[in-house]
Amino acid sequence: MRVTEHTNFDLVRENVRKSKERMEGLQRQNATLKKLNAPSDDPIGAAKILEIRTDRVNNEQFLNNARLAETFLSNTDHALSELSDLVVRAKEIAIGQSSGASANDDTRKGLAEEVKQLFLQAVSTGNRRIGERYLFGGYRVHEPPIDQDGVFRGDGGKMMVEVSNGVYLPMNVTGPEVLGVTVQERPREGDENSQVNRTPAGHTGSEESSGTNIFDELQRLRISLLTGDVDSVRGTLEGLDEVHGKLIAARAMVGSRIQGIQTATNSLERQNLTQANLSSSLEDADMAQVVADLAKEETVFRSSLASSQKLIQPTLLEFLR
Amino acid sequence: MGVNNVMQTGRSGLLAAKSGIATSGHNIANANTEGFNRQRVQVNAEATESKNGPKAMIGRGVRDVRVNRVNDEYVEKQIREGNRNLAFTEERDVSLRQVEDIFNEMSGEGLNRVMTKFFNEFRKLSNDPDNEAIRQSVREASQAMVTDFHRIRKEVDEVRKHIDSRITGYVREMNALGEELKELNLKIKISSIGGASPNDLLDRRDIVMKELASFVDLQAHKDNEGSYVVEIKGGGPFVSGTVSSKLHAETSPADEFGKVDGSLDIRSESSNSPTVTQSISGGKLGALIETRDKTLSAISGRMDEIAFNLAHAVNEIHSQGFNRYGQQGVAYFKAPEQIDRAAEVLELSDAVRENINFIATAAQPDAPGDNRIALAITGLQGLKLMNDGKSTLDDFYNSIVADVGVATDRNRSAMNQNKDIVMQLGKMREQISGVSIDEETTNLLQFQHTFDASAKVIQIADEMLKTILDLR
Repeated sequence: MRVTEHTNFDLVRENVRKSKERMEGLQRQNATLKKLNAPSDDPIGAAKILEIRTDRVNNEQFLNNARLAETFLSNTDHALSELSDLVVRAKEIAIGQSSGASANDDTRKGLAEEVKQLFLQAVSTGNRRIGERYLFGGYRVHEPPIDQDGVFRGDGGKMMVEVSNGVYLPMNVTGPEVLGVTVQERPREGDENSQVNRTPAGHTGSEESSGTNIFDELQRLRISLLTGDVDSVRGTLEGLDEVHGKLIAARAMVGSRIQGIQTATNSLERQNLTQANLSSSLEDADMAQVVADLAKEETVFRSSLASSQKLIQPTLLEFLR
Repeated sequence: MGVNNVMQTGRSGLLAAKSGIATSGHNIANANTEGFNRQRVQVNAEATESKNGPKAMIGRGVRDVRVNRVNDEYVEKQIREGNRNLAFTEERDVSLRQVEDIFNEMSGEGLNRVMTKFFNEFRKLSNDPDNEAIRQSVREASQAMVTDFHRIRKEVDEVRKHIDSRITGYVREMNALGEELKELNLKIKISSIGGASPNDLLDRRDIVMKELASFVDLQAHKDNEGSYVVEIKGGGPFVSGTVSSKLHAETSPADEFGKVDGSLDIRSESSNSPTVTQSISGGKLGALIETRDKTLSAISGRMDEIAFNLAHAVNEIHSQGFNRYGQQGVAYFKAPEQIDRAAEVLELSDAVRENINFIATAAQPDAPGDNRIALAITGLQGLKLMNDGKSTLDDFYNSIVADVGVATDRNRSAMNQNKDIVMQLGKMREQISGVSIDEETTNLLQFQHTFDASAKVIQIADEMLKTILDLR
């Protein structure tokens, strides 16, 4: 085989080029701490990373949603517990005043005043809000849902939140659901259409209550006490029981929703952790490996330079002096 | 045989040695010349005149001093092909790297991020539909997304323009090379008439052929006069002996092969068809055309699809919602009418751009807490809107990124392979035609010795003549 100067020099050039190219690649990993710097480094991994990034940003939002819903729901729970205490007190009064032993018109008049206070308290609890939003107003979040006569001004709208991918929970309970109030009809243009129903958004407040509502029952009790009609005082007991039962059921529902949110949150956090691991294994460089490879590559480079020196140096001319 | 003849024999030896030394000198001088083939002096022994009777056939030195180049045509041909493949992959690598940069979100913003942000701003809005500040940031995120669609379209178009300017340059270079090849064919024909081998012209012609072959797939053979006949595959005859044709790059409307309106078409003077853009292949031109009309057109088409489907899906929901003025039917995007160039023309609707109160969140009027429309819009993120209901917007976009990565990666490994092949062929060529300084030095010494010895022959002949003249 003929070996010419070109062959020699090309060999040297090529070795140096390849070695430097490899070193540059390692150097880049070293500087960026990433082994995936462009999609072509690992096309499938790159697409996967984008997917994971989207998921992580979404999950972050879902966690925020869940926190918001949890706050809203635990405030709702407090309000419901206050209302149920209030109803219990009303029941005590009704039972006490309907037996007749220690009750007379005077006690009933005095207690009627207390029931009025209970009524006002119920209205104010029904108008509880966090931030700018009323808890029981449905979609009409900006106006007090209960007016001074105990008439419901809100609607039955459920505000859904997405607590994890595709999982929607209502973060509010509605007046008709828990207070037994009826939605006042307002003129409305056509809603409800196919597009909107693609996601499980809440339904509109056309829901009818079963007739008893906390405000009406309290008013009834007060009037019965004022008029001194023992039978009608006794008659309010059934309604109050019904109202109380509704409140208890509502608290159970709120409690289970909070639990559902916590489960979703836990699983989101776990998911975030596994995905962080996955994306790290896809894009982060193994630094120990990079440094070791770099050292190895440097040795290769040096020895290729050393052998090049031997290859290039002597020609016949040096011996012809 | 006369003494004079001996002197002539010596003289022919001197001449041959001198040619040898000159040729070695030429070789050494061109040791680094690209495409140079080492040259060798070839001589024949001068036939004897048998005047002295059949028993003593005495030689008369050398004759026919010829200088030939050492060259293997088959290796040359392989190098041309190897070079064409290498040029193809190298040219494609340049453009693909530019495309990859457009979609490189590994360290920075990109459509994937802004699209995620768009949906999550709507999620925030669904938590608090009446919030002014969130409405503001929903609009900003939407504008950022629209801008990124424009950016990608624009950058893809820029790569396309860059490719067109390279096509113009390459066509010009090819025409110049065709012209030169034609002239070289003629010069070589004339020089060869006397039987001499015009080595350095032949070398130059090989280089021209090699360069020409790097642009496009060619078919080449030599006619019976030794002139090259070159035909562009799918593009008609280019150079035929001493006649050459030309290529032209001209702008033209879009075609059905993916060429967009206003980018360049290639026309061949010698071809009957009005354009040869899609029929030629290989080499730098082939790479540019493939990247421009296949890769880039597919990418911008897919971006258009995303923009089109997203805009229409969002509008379909949004226009059913009620905004803060209790109005229904306001579009969110100024939706493109057709898929073609959708990513380029996508804009926010004038209403939404001018007034955030036009963003609709409610499915019923007079319900500031109603978030159903906003929720339905966020639901689009997980909906399979693309690819006939098989992929989500995200999946579809991510697959573009993956495809660009795969194309770049695959082309790069092909390029490295081609580099190795060309390297190997170059080594083969060097083994045959390359200049070795050691070898040439040895040759120099050898010819120098021959020169000395031939001079000695003349000297001796001279002395013999003297001796004879001195006989009295």
